[in-house]
Amino acid sequence: MQIIEKLTKKKEMGILVMIIVLSIILAFANSNFLTLNNIFDFLRSNAVLGIMAFGVLPVLLTGGIDLSISSTIALCAVVAGEFMLAFPSSNILIVIIISMAVGAVVGAINGLIITKFDIPPIVATLGTQTIILAGVLLYTNGVWISGLPQWFISFGQIQLGAFHSVGKVVGLSMQVILLIVAGLITWLIIKYTLLGRGIYAIGGNKQSAMRVGYNVNKITIFVYIFAGLMTGLAAVTHISIVGQVDPNTYLNYEMDVFAIVFIGGTSVVGGFGTVLGTSLGIVLMAIIKNGLVLAKVPTYWQKVVMGLIILLTVSVDVINRKREQAKLVRVDVEEEEVDKRE
Amino acid sequence: MNKFQKLKSKNGNELILLVIFVALFILMSILSPGKFLSVTNLQTMAFQMPEFGLMAIAMMIAVLTKGINLSIITGSTLASIIAGYFMTTEFAQNNAVVAVILAVCISLLIAALTGVINGTIIAYIGVAPMLVTLGTKMLFEGLGLQFTKGGSVSGFPLLFGEIGNGSVAGIPYTIIIYAVIVVLSYFLFERSKWGTEVYMIGCNETATRFSGINTKRVLMKVYIYSGVMAGISGILISSRYCSAKTDYGSSYLMQALTAVVLGGTSIAGGFGTVAGTVIAVGIVQVISTGLNVFGINRYIINIITGGILIAVLIIRYVSGKISDQKKIKARNAEAQKAA
Repeated sequence: MQIIEKLTKKKEMGILVMIIVLSIILAFANSNFLTLNNIFDFLRSNAVLGIMAFGVLPVLLTGGIDLSISSTIALCAVVAGEFMLAFPSSNILIVIIISMAVGAVVGAINGLIITKFDIPPIVATLGTQTIILAGVLLYTNGVWISGLPQWFISFGQIQLGAFHSVGKVVGLSMQVILLIVAGLITWLIIKYTLLGRGIYAIGGNKQSAMRVGYNVNKITIFVYIFAGLMTGLAAVTHISIVGQVDPNTYLNYEMDVFAIVFIGGTSVVGGFGTVLGTSLGIVLMAIIKNGLVLAKVPTYWQKVVMGLIILLTVSVDVINRKREQAKLVRVDVEEEEVDKRE
Repeated sequence: MNKFQKLKSKNGNELILLVIFVALFILMSILSPGKFLSVTNLQTMAFQMPEFGLMAIAMMIAVLTKGINLSIITGSTLASIIAGYFMTTEFAQNNAVVAVILAVCISLLIAALTGVINGTIIAYIGVAPMLVTLGTKMLFEGLGLQFTKGGSVSGFPLLFGEIGNGSVAGIPYTIIIYAVIVVLSYFLFERSKWGTEVYMIGCNETATRFSGINTKRVLMKVYIYSGVMAGISGILISSRYCSAKTDYGSSYLMQALTAVVLGGTSIAGGFGTVAGTVIAVGIVQVISTGLNVFGINRYIINIITGGILIAVLIIRYVSGKISDQKKIKARNAEAQKAA
């Protein structure tokens, strides 16, 4: 009984219930929805946003924000694409490392600006977002990079444990594996390292974290570098799906990523949020998007839905927080009264 | 001389900005007299600056309260798209004068409504402004796209185009509207009770609430004012193009924030003058038009605008640190003397 009570109290449980309910509705509305093919397909196409969501999770946990990820992924993708054109005989590992390194540099710049000069993250990353995107478009002129080497294209089509189902090949694609790896790394860092504890501590109360002895500046720089690293990985994941680099395609990506993280139960003021919640957020967001497509809702409405999801999730989070605090105050008062009577 | 020193000590920041503005203007004129100082270029600037300046004022009032309003552009385009649809109806085509007046009213109403949405969630629910306006930015853009399907609305009565393109005695209407609103904003921000409350919230919201001010209502008005200012700018933009589209004015968001910060408004809230913002708008406008005249790629102009934003904040931080240290040194010296 206690276990059930504990489970229902968890935020993740609510998201899971929503996923199940939506899946059942969609399965009835469209027989294609619950086929393995469709599930693997939408996991694959949401892997990019998912990896970025894991990347910004620590940033949001510290109470910061990183708007520049949409420009960073464009930069990483262009650098990776150009690198492969220049060195067609290199291999996938080098490409991933280079892309992640570029992301890390951008993250380090963000982190340094934010910590060393005390500039609010929203303003600093809005600035870097504009500068990086303009730089990328200046360099590429908005032209696609195509003609990527064959080994890269085939890397993107690898499917592990592939089997035939209803005449189609179904299997765990490379992108989904990268997504899982990204999730695992994020989980290990924020749950099992001192760094991770520090991230939660800063999000809970920056001053206290500093007094307890966490190096707040170092941790803050780290979370932005981590967001950059994951964005670099997401860039390679994306071009491995599409097979070419389109620098214009990443506009507004950051909004979808924030929607995932917030719907996954991460608190908007920092300090609360889990990798499990974010993972469920990825699935839920994928189902919502997939459902909108299957229900033949025009694409323009998707933006409206995404905006509404962000507004609703952040509002609900703040309202819940206020209620909890009100409860705490009441408990305090009651205890005091008891003390007095004694 | 005495008067000048008084002015200097009181409005030092604005004076420096004014000097930068004049210097940039002269520099651009010397570098390219034929192009920069041409009548058409000066006219373009005169027509563009009000749009941009109004967006900056819309951003400024939010920043003064320690907030930010990222939805100004999409909110204003949504308002002008809806007003635009009204102007393409048969009724509007037949009664141009009434239609234009009604369209302006519709625009302002929708713009005020976007402010009410932002204000409700920020003030009454208590969500951070950056998250709220990030969400509403997307929401308004999606709604606008839903109306236009990615295209533009056009075919307005010719009279509507007069607002953004017409002029009286050589002065564009847009400049007159801008001037009136700047003066109005000055009195509202720096000379009214509400304005003082806005600055107080920016300094310390909790203290303001405990001193008996209804901060929620003040914040609500801030975001409504911000929405309406952006809405007026949207009217000017759609009037200048004689059409409405979700993309219009998208570059103004970054420029507006840059102008606000450059104008001396503290990003942490509580400090800033309308005059500073207005002069900074002039500076950013001269830079972007000037570089445009030289045929410099607009992406480079974007990079420069973003660079200015971050550079100004860094310079302000460093100079603040230096002046703090000077003060500490002076105090230490005094203490030693006393000892």
